[in-house]
Formats: sequence, structure tokens, C-alpha cells
Amino acid sequence: MAVLEIENLCKRYENFALQNVTFRVAEGRIAGFIGRNGAGKTTVLKSLLHFVTPNSGSVRFFGQDFSAHEQAIKQKIGFVSGGVRFYPKKKLRVLADVTRRFYPNWDETAFKRYLQRFSLDPEKTPDMLSEGMKVKFSLALALSHHAELLILDEPTSGLDPVSRAELLDEFLKLQKEGVSILFSTHIILDLEKCADDIVYISNGRILAEAPMQSFLESYRAVSFDSAEKAEAYKDRLIGLSEDKRGCTALVRTAVAESLALPAAPADLEQIMVHLERQASI
Amino acid sequence: MKALLYKEFRLVTHPTTVLFLLLSAMLLIPNYPLYVTFFYCTLGIFFACLGGRENGDVFYTVLQPIQKCDAVRARILFAVVFESAQLILAALFSLLRIRLLGAQNAAGMDANLALFGFSLLLLGVFNVTFFPLYYRNPAKVGKSFAVAAAILFLGILILESLCFILPIFKEKLDTPDPQFFPEKCFVLLFGAIFYVGLTFAADKIAERRFAQLDV
Repeated sequence: MAVLEIENLCKRYENFALQNVTFRVAEGRIAGFIGRNGAGKTTVLKSLLHFVTPNSGSVRFFGQDFSAHEQAIKQKIGFVSGGVRFYPKKKLRVLADVTRRFYPNWDETAFKRYLQRFSLDPEKTPDMLSEGMKVKFSLALALSHHAELLILDEPTSGLDPVSRAELLDEFLKLQKEGVSILFSTHIILDLEKCADDIVYISNGRILAEAPMQSFLESYRAVSFDSAEKAEAYKDRLIGLSEDKRGCTALVRTAVAESLALPAAPADLEQIMVHLERQASI
Repeated sequence: MKALLYKEFRLVTHPTTVLFLLLSAMLLIPNYPLYVTFFYCTLGIFFACLGGRENGDVFYTVLQPIQKCDAVRARILFAVVFESAQLILAALFSLLRIRLLGAQNAAGMDANLALFGFSLLLLGVFNVTFFPLYYRNPAKVGKSFAVAAAILFLGILILESLCFILPIFKEKLDTPDPQFFPEKCFVLLFGAIFYVGLTFAADKIAERRFAQLDV
């Protein structure tokens, strides 16, 4: 069952547009939403909850249309956008006291448990927290009303490697507890560590949506000694680029096999770099 | 709505918003354009909205399980509470004024029922100007307030001038209570009806604009 289904979502700005964005997040999965800076990740995530008003398209959570069931759906999801960006001078205790009143199923015991688990002091203010702790407080708020789906916009951006690793560990723990997660990032390592599925956006369009492993297996990295040698396969190569040792490119796995090219498995970073390079040609 | 209103009072209320309520005591100034007292109430609302902008209130609010239009309705209800509190406090101070100084005011409208009727009208005009502008772009709260305050002061200028120009103002409305009581009651009723109507319109326009706003 899908906890989130987006179909043909469009949003037009003067210099940028989301074009028929379509993807889904399955129950109990962690989906990594990747793309370079400015690809449209934040606009998509904000459009899901109508923080940004889409021009067209449909968004369904837990099988229900968001526009028609906005309040009920928001009870079941948590949106975290890079930590706490509100009321930086108010104590966490006060923010929680205000927030809990919006949720009939708020679980105070769970909230206290998450404060303990994340080592958060309720007497502190968001201003006094590191970026990682701010994200954790947002998570504590979201999880204390038993959010079944977490939507996180670049939660690891700006965190040191240790804090990032801790946060990703939390994602995996939450997944075991039955929470589905959609998080955007441009940090490849985050995805490799915990994403089950990949949704790849480039310039406002979804280029790929697949389980992580099959996405990785669908491409191969090829290298050539010189540009002349690569020329023969030019039409089949994706994002061909020259470096000091020759040329590198990406090919579809089926193409690599049919042409008997000397190809190696491609990692996520190679795939992203070459796809972006191809898109910019 | 209960949770939203709690949020308004717990997080949004600026200390000056409460402090400005006490400026209802300006009704005790012997000769003063008494309508100005109600400007401070609007200033308090502005400070609350300004504080909201600085604290990311709009984003926090839309994150909660509410509809966008509820956020607008709660803020306007919050303003109505403050405006009502100011009117009630001002009414109490006007009673004190009558006891201590008498209702008469050489600088403008006397402290009487008509003053409150016209003040309700002015607050309604402020609401219908400020909130639709504010919810078109909450980031430009200062600009929205400048326009609404300018219109409010223009209204005050017109109403105070009428006390010196129009005979009905000069001879009937600008007199101590209970003289010309039915006429003043009519003004109070007229003001109250317009306040409710204009505030309702402010809410509807602001809701429509906020629904289209990208947060």
C-alpha cells in the first residue's frame, strides 16, 4: 500500500516549473528524494502539504485526497524542514505545550521518551540547540502524535558527519517501528546508508523512481582511453565527460551488455553526476 | 480553533499588545482627539503580526493539522478580542472621565456613545484594510500597517473635522451623554454593524488571499 501518491503535480514560476511530478512512497519504506540544488525538491515537498499551491495535479496520503482531508491527513504525518525554524526564543516545553493541543492523539509519555532518547532539555530554547538537535526536536514533536509518515526536507544538511550518522540511525529505528519516511537530500552517503527507494528529480522533472538496488543496477559506468574511442558509442552514452585519464560516461546496463563494453557497476554519485551532465547538454 | 487561539495568546501576543490596552486611559486626557486612543490597539495588533513574522509563525501554524483559512480566522478573532478589550477598557475610563472631568472635550469628539460608535467603524475600516493586505504577503507587514494606519488617521481627521463643520455633529453628536441619546445610540448601533460587517469581509478576503500564498 502506498502512504503517498503524487500524480502529475505541476507548479509554474517565472523561471522554473515542476512538470508532471509523479511518484509514490510505499508503506514502511524509506524513500530518498534526490536531486541537485534547485532541482525542485523543496517545492515538491511543500506542494504536498499545500504550503506551495500547485497549479495542477493530485496528492493522496493513505489513499485519501489531501485537499479534501487536509486536517485528518496532517494528524498522521510529520513535516520537518531543516530543524525548528519557528519561535527560537521560546522554551521547548512551551512549544510542545502549544503543539500538543492540535493533536487529539498526542502522547505525552512518548514525547518525554523522545526527549530522553534525543537528549533534549525541555527548558532550552531552539536558539540554544545545534542544527542536529533542532531536527531531533522536530522529530520528537512529529512522533509524539504518532505520525505514520515523516516528510523531511534536507534534514541532514548542515550537520557534521557524526550527527548525520546519528540521525540516519534514528530513521532506521523509526522504520522498524513502522514509520514510513520520505526525505530529500543531495548527500549521496545518506541515501546509501538508509534509503530503500530512490526518487530522482532534475530540473523540475522526475527522472527516476525505483528501488535503490534496481536503480543502481540499471546503469553501468564506462571509461575510454580517449575521446576518439568514445565517439563510436556517443549516441548510447549518458553524460560523457573528459578527464585526465580519458573519458567516462554512463550507459544503460542492457546497452553495456549488448555492446560488450568494458563497464563497471556505477555508484549513486556517478549516476547522479552523469545524468545531470546529460540533462545540461 | 481552540488550539489556534491558544497559540495566538501563548506565542503570538507581544507584551506591547497588552501594554497598549492600558493606553485606554488616554480617555482621561482633558482635551485630546480621543479617537487616537484606538490607534494604539491597531498598533498592538501590528506588533503581534510583526513578532509572528520574526518568529516564523506562519510556517509553524500551517504545519499544524488545520486548514490555511483557519489560521486567518484565528488571527482576526485574536484582533477582535483585543479590539473589544480596548473598547471595554475605554468605556470604563470614559465613565471615570465623566465623573472626574466631565465628558466635554475641546479638542474633538466628547467621550460619549457616538465616539464609541465611530471608533467601531474606524476599527472595522482598519481590519478590512490591514488583514487583506497582510495576508497577501505577511513578509511585508510594515507596508500593510502603514497603509491601514494612514487610512485610519484619515478617518479620524474626517470625523474630528465633522465636529466643527456639520451641525448634526456639532449640536447633537458631540455633546455629553445622555443628551440626544437616541441619535447616539443609533451611531453606536451603526458602528457595531459596520464593524462586524467589515471584519467579516476582512476575514473572507484575507482567507482567499492566504489560500493562494506560497509559504
